[in-house]
Amino acid sequence: MFGYWDALYFLYAFLIGLIISYLLMKWAEKVSMGTRRTGDGTKIYISGEDQDKVIPHFEHLSGYFTGRHVMWGLIRGVHRMFLVFRREHTGLLTDYVAYLLITIAIVLGALVIGG
Amino acid sequence: MTLPFLIIIPLFGAFSMPIVSLLGKKIKEYWAVIVSGATLAVSAKIFYTVWKTNEIILYTLGSDSPIGKGVKFPIRIVWEVDLFGALLALTIAFVGFLAVIYSLGYMKHDTGLEKYYTLILILELGMLGIVITGDIFNFYVFLEIMSIASYALVAFRNDTWEGIEAGIKYMFVGSLASSFILLGIALLYGQYGTLTMSYLAIKIAENPTLVAKIALAFFIGGLLFKSGAVPVHMWLADAHPAAPSSISAMLSGLVIKAGGVYAVARIVFGIFNPGLHAYLRAFNAPAVNMDVIGWVIVFFACLTLLVGNAMAVVQTDMKRLFAFSSVGQIGYILLGIGIGTLAYGTKAGELALAGAIYHIVNHALIKALLFLVAGAVIHQVGTKNLNELSGLAKKMPLTTFSFVIGAAAIIGLPPLNGFASKWIIYESSAMYNPVLAAIAVVGTVFSLAAYTRVLFTFLGRESDMIKEAKEPEKSMIIPMLILVAVIIVMGLLPWQISDKIMVPTARMLEQLNGEYIMALLKFIGGA
Repeated sequence: MFGYWDALYFLYAFLIGLIISYLLMKWAEKVSMGTRRTGDGTKIYISGEDQDKVIPHFEHLSGYFTGRHVMWGLIRGVHRMFLVFRREHTGLLTDYVAYLLITIAIVLGALVIGG
Repeated sequence: MTLPFLIIIPLFGAFSMPIVSLLGKKIKEYWAVIVSGATLAVSAKIFYTVWKTNEIILYTLGSDSPIGKGVKFPIRIVWEVDLFGALLALTIAFVGFLAVIYSLGYMKHDTGLEKYYTLILILELGMLGIVITGDIFNFYVFLEIMSIASYALVAFRNDTWEGIEAGIKYMFVGSLASSFILLGIALLYGQYGTLTMSYLAIKIAENPTLVAKIALAFFIGGLLFKSGAVPVHMWLADAHPAAPSSISAMLSGLVIKAGGVYAVARIVFGIFNPGLHAYLRAFNAPAVNMDVIGWVIVFFACLTLLVGNAMAVVQTDMKRLFAFSSVGQIGYILLGIGIGTLAYGTKAGELALAGAIYHIVNHALIKALLFLVAGAVIHQVGTKNLNELSGLAKKMPLTTFSFVIGAAAIIGLPPLNGFASKWIIYESSAMYNPVLAAIAVVGTVFSLAAYTRVLFTFLGRESDMIKEAKEPEKSMIIPMLILVAVIIVMGLLPWQISDKIMVPTARMLEQLNGEYIMALLKFIGGA
């Protein structure tokens, strides 16, 4: 079992990670390594801006940054996920019932096939 | 034998409330406090007895003999309390007691309080019944008692549309989920001819049929709904914020535990014991593959802890944020139960289960505190919109302090109680499958983001809404401070509590030597 205070390690790692990411982004923008803000809807490529190197199965992804450090596009993607969450509605009764039935169907299917 | 009093006292309290209320407003409030206090004392006694002796308490209502008189089956109900049930009973009675005290101030301006206190005692009674019963149909009866009281309490403030809408939705879909559970019970009874859980465990191990698997699926599906797991969590995000805050504290802290994750663990380990079925499979005998159910639980757990915590980040309604956070925390508990099933009989499995049980207790205390804080804010400021609550720390320092402790504990910051339970769940997940641990940590990052936002709001510049705000009255402050003290004390003794209480509880639930089943057989023999 890990020590009690070892949990602080999590906090350090998280904070240091956050600071490094921020510095990296600022630096990449400043030295013109190719990372730049191009606005919403920029396509994400696996490296640089080579259109032939679209990430397989993720062709539909679009981001906010472009250039070599395409990871920033993914960060934008996460941001958009939250925007979608924000639009959640309380839902209709029929939706609730449908979700319940789907859940039971999944459990039932898994147990009957594999159980 | 003190066990029956755990039901008799709140039952008597609830049904005598309309008569007692005729004696005056204050009397009924004191009556509710006395009844819930006495229930707490009984539950503490039962917990201490089970913990000290490490033996399961058995009690039969009705016939003592396992053989029916005049009919083929015995007419009786078996109550069977192991350490898990006793621990939950103590938690329920403790949080219930504080919620009743809090209500003295919080519900002061409401009318129809005799109905309110009757329902709150019935809610407590339902939950206590669930955690002490050893009879699957009796479990269903208590589940319905608890659920019906919850539906009514969610819609208690019937002058607002939120309460009515949430209550109706909760009732309709909750009843459907309950029907699936009842169908599961009917299938098991039809197949095996008994309703006693321990005896069902033996019967199912002897002859595990497709019907038993279908019944298990209905139980798990229905109980996932009752736990508020994703994707059947929507009712929770509506119902918990709509209820009065003292009730939200009980709904989020207790109802989704007793009627949800506790029942999942009891059915998976009590009726379909993974060890028993793994043993049968080792000899190529017919058995239920419990790994499948373990992975099903883990799948829903990961979904729940990610979506629940992520949804909490974007909320602007404080109570809705706490409700989504409850969804996220249920994910951790389910993860512990899932890994406990998958890694049954190993160190990782035992730790995971201990972590899940520990988190059930911790989350009950923490979420009760957070909802009481939300109630204090609504009571004093009149809004739960985070955009209007800026600068609350200066006007309500004690409430803000309570929130800070609650938020830090739920994120899992040492040295508070939430840290220890989450840490055990992370550790056991990492031992079983590091990917699951990574998912659990990502969930916590979302949780951190959500609560940091509220904290910044409280500490921000003073808004117009809170100019007149001041601390609530003592009856509301004291329960919050008691919870704060318990959270801090439990946080300072994390491994002692884990080693002395949670691990023995997990062992008793796992029943490596069939303790739960043997207790019944030793006592009386058959069904």
